[in-house]
Amino acid sequence: MTVNSEPEALLSHLQNADGSATFSFSGYTVVGAVNGPIEVQRRDELPEEAAVDVIVRPAAGVGGTRERHLESLIQSTLRQIILVDNFPRTLIQIILQVTTTPENEYVNAKVAQATSNLPILPALLQTAVLSLLSAALPLTATLTSTSLAVVADGQSKKVVLNPSPREIETSQSFHVFSFTSHDELILAESEGSFTVKEWDEAFSVAQRQCCPPTNTDDGDTLMDDGSLPGANLKQFIRSTLEGKIASDLHWK
Amino acid sequence: MPREAEPSLNERAFVVQALQEGLRVDGRAFDQYRQLELKFGEQYGVADVTLGKTRILVKVSAEVTTPYTDRPFDGIFTITTELSPMASPAFEVNRPTETEVLLSRLLEKTVRRSNALDTESLCLVAGQKCWSIRVDLHVLSHDGNLIDVSCFAVVAALRHFRKPDTSIEGGHLTVYTPAEREPVPLSWLHSPFCVTFSFYGEGEITILDANLLEEQLRVSSCTISLNRHGEICQIAKLGGTPVEAATLLQCASVALNKVKEFSTLLDQKLAEDAKRRNKGGLLAELSAENER
Repeated sequence: MTVNSEPEALLSHLQNADGSATFSFSGYTVVGAVNGPIEVQRRDELPEEAAVDVIVRPAAGVGGTRERHLESLIQSTLRQIILVDNFPRTLIQIILQVTTTPENEYVNAKVAQATSNLPILPALLQTAVLSLLSAALPLTATLTSTSLAVVADGQSKKVVLNPSPREIETSQSFHVFSFTSHDELILAESEGSFTVKEWDEAFSVAQRQCCPPTNTDDGDTLMDDGSLPGANLKQFIRSTLEGKIASDLHWK
Repeated sequence: MPREAEPSLNERAFVVQALQEGLRVDGRAFDQYRQLELKFGEQYGVADVTLGKTRILVKVSAEVTTPYTDRPFDGIFTITTELSPMASPAFEVNRPTETEVLLSRLLEKTVRRSNALDTESLCLVAGQKCWSIRVDLHVLSHDGNLIDVSCFAVVAALRHFRKPDTSIEGGHLTVYTPAEREPVPLSWLHSPFCVTFSFYGEGEITILDANLLEEQLRVSSCTISLNRHGEICQIAKLGGTPVEAATLLQCASVALNKVKEFSTLLDQKLAEDAKRRNKGGLLAELSAENER
């Protein structure tokens, strides 16, 4: 199976939802839809802000604890960037449907996989942000997230960006970081065994990946500007939205 | 939770009068389907079907479990349909609506109870080990005629699916990974499809493939499931105004023609996909499956 290293996105393609996006990156494809602000159930109603409801649905099988865990992580992250104060007593509903996950050829897939929850988190967050943008909900910032694995390489250890399922399986620790478009850390989740030094190293790699220095068009090309090979997700979100707006505003 | 927006009185009058004058709002003929598109995923058993603006994604998965004690020689085959708020904000999580219940019952009757999949072939060790085949249906976008599209998508995904190869030696069961042996297709007996008719007026106007607006305005509907040999699996007409027997007979013959078209389309798409996967014609050598 070929894994796409370049992110791909499709915006506003579902007709009944207020906003929708399909995002695929490194073997994961997630379809997201956002409805909101809509009427909220009485028991979920918050008097001074909008309730944010995240629903994560797996491609096969019904959602379990693993999905609930992801939902709670995404919910608490998105609550920070959506301007919830603007819509008191309403509901903003975010549905994330996983459609493809990378397959491991050497293992037979099981429906209820007791594997780690985290590897899919960056794709889910990215889809949620794109869907929110497509639904034109006011946000304080956008997000970029990335995943890293610390793999033992002989005696030393190295940090692998966007690791494959096989690399995650053999890794010693796995980290997910999210940064806002103002280059602030908003989510950090880690699992496995690691030292503070390893975490710091992973953090700095993630920071360089998610918060690349804004391009200065002075004609000078820095040969070693510290940016990493791999997709520039911040740039990707911008260009996707630019393309969408250009096609929407195109005089027909 | 918000309710589905109902068509206004003007819309209602306009659509119904247009139908009485022999016209549909989107300009189709009464027996014409919207553009049906089928895409198979990179993995086996994933089908993405769009019919106009209705879009459905089906994923089939298999795992080894113990069979039910009252049916030791049968494998387990389940179809799960859960409508998410993605299709419409009116659908709630964990609270099945009438649409959802009817959809899952119809799929159950059409695909499962018509024995389209030979469940006995899923048995590995009688009473101890069997395959459990699970079909997950996700409605991404709902613009009418969920039943026909769902049924088509489920059949397409099941026929596209390959389960891991197994062998039994001296009571010891081995399940091979895709890297060891090429997965094998399911034992598929026949392909049933659903065709839904919507009736208007006093039941004298019959249309095929109603979109969401037309579905909201119909006075009754009838779903016929059959395969391309004309063998009818089920007919469901759940309430609504009565329809003449002659109309139903006519519907059955129209349904047969439509099912033949579906069948041809599916066979053609499956052949295309097999050709795409079989680069260099090496798949036949990789397969350890015996000819029947």
